[in-house]
Amino acid sequence: MVSDDGAPSRRALLTGTGTALAGGVLALAGCGSVDTGKKAVKQTSASVRERDIAILGRALELERRTVAAYIACIPLLTRPERKACRQFLNEELQHTGELASLIKAAGGKAPPRADSYDLGQAATDGASARALVHSLEALQISSYLGWIPQLSPAPVRAAVASILTVDSQHLAMVRVMQDQDPVPGPFVTGST
Amino acid sequence: MISGGGPTRRELLGAGAAGAAGLLALPASAAADASSTGEPPFSETDRLQRLIRLELLLVYCYRYVLASSILGPRAHERLAPFVGHEEAHVAALESRLKARGGAVPVGPDSIKTANRYLANRGVGGRLGQLKGERDALYLLLTLEQVTIGAYFVAMTKLRDSELITLVCQIMGNEAQHDAVIGLSLPKATPGTAVPYGLVQGLQ
Repeated sequence: MVSDDGAPSRRALLTGTGTALAGGVLALAGCGSVDTGKKAVKQTSASVRERDIAILGRALELERRTVAAYIACIPLLTRPERKACRQFLNEELQHTGELASLIKAAGGKAPPRADSYDLGQAATDGASARALVHSLEALQISSYLGWIPQLSPAPVRAAVASILTVDSQHLAMVRVMQDQDPVPGPFVTGST
Repeated sequence: MISGGGPTRRELLGAGAAGAAGLLALPASAAADASSTGEPPFSETDRLQRLIRLELLLVYCYRYVLASSILGPRAHERLAPFVGHEEAHVAALESRLKARGGAVPVGPDSIKTANRYLANRGVGGRLGQLKGERDALYLLLTLEQVTIGAYFVAMTKLRDSELITLVCQIMGNEAQHDAVIGLSLPKATPGTAVPYGLVQGLQ
């Protein structure tokens, strides 16, 4: 479903993401990181697993918040930007699946999805929409940089690092949409 | 399928997925259980040396491509800062290596040596034989993906928190390079430049 201005409706976006999620799960099945991480996390002590579950739960909440932001922002963007951001939304959904899978493997239960997420000041146009997804991608990166060293064992850290890596790419491409330098420094920090 | 002497991006990415699948075959607790599998014990010094060698190869290749006028102005402008990024990675890794008493490796000193290193790592394309921007971009793209793969493998082994953070920061940066190079390919868009939800590079 497409609205008068050519922008997809929220329903169409959600339907599209449902399809993409299925594709994402298929892609995940062929991916090594989550399976390796799942096997590894099962072999850790209960206390380590509890700590991991808490961190992964916070990461999942942040990914869901970013998904909500993309859903809210995509209709405000230009057609080429919408196409790219739908792709990024699908990938963020894949990240939620990966994190939920790791939580389950650690013996935990993924926290329920909230009815709504606080996205701060609402995006009202393309510029504020780009700024919002920029800020959330950056927040994800800075958060993962803090969380990953606390995770254990190493394969779980690697699995989560593969998510951080993609969020770094999203941030670079959102910067391109904002006419900013896509890679402003040699180390990702998530500070901007 | 080979086009223009180099693999297509789709093929490269497919190879990336295959590489990721290959990682799946690794035992999950390989690092923790090295003694029982006969694997040599993991050494942070050794891993740092491997990463520095790759970074030095990247520096050499970026310098060569940027100096050769093979890139169009748009791609040249986008990729020019990456040499400095790779040099910063080398400096950061070298300081950690020296702190551990490791010997700092040297990078390639000639095109011939660089090409041998590229061949050893399974990277298609050779310096001195690049026929245009497309060849150069694919060579750099593949080498970036091989480097991301090396960082991913390092992540499955490292224990030191500070080193883990550094490796994450560099791996994310290399992935950004990968996306920007992808964006410089013909008909690319920001969406096609980030085609997968999980990135583990070529291994």
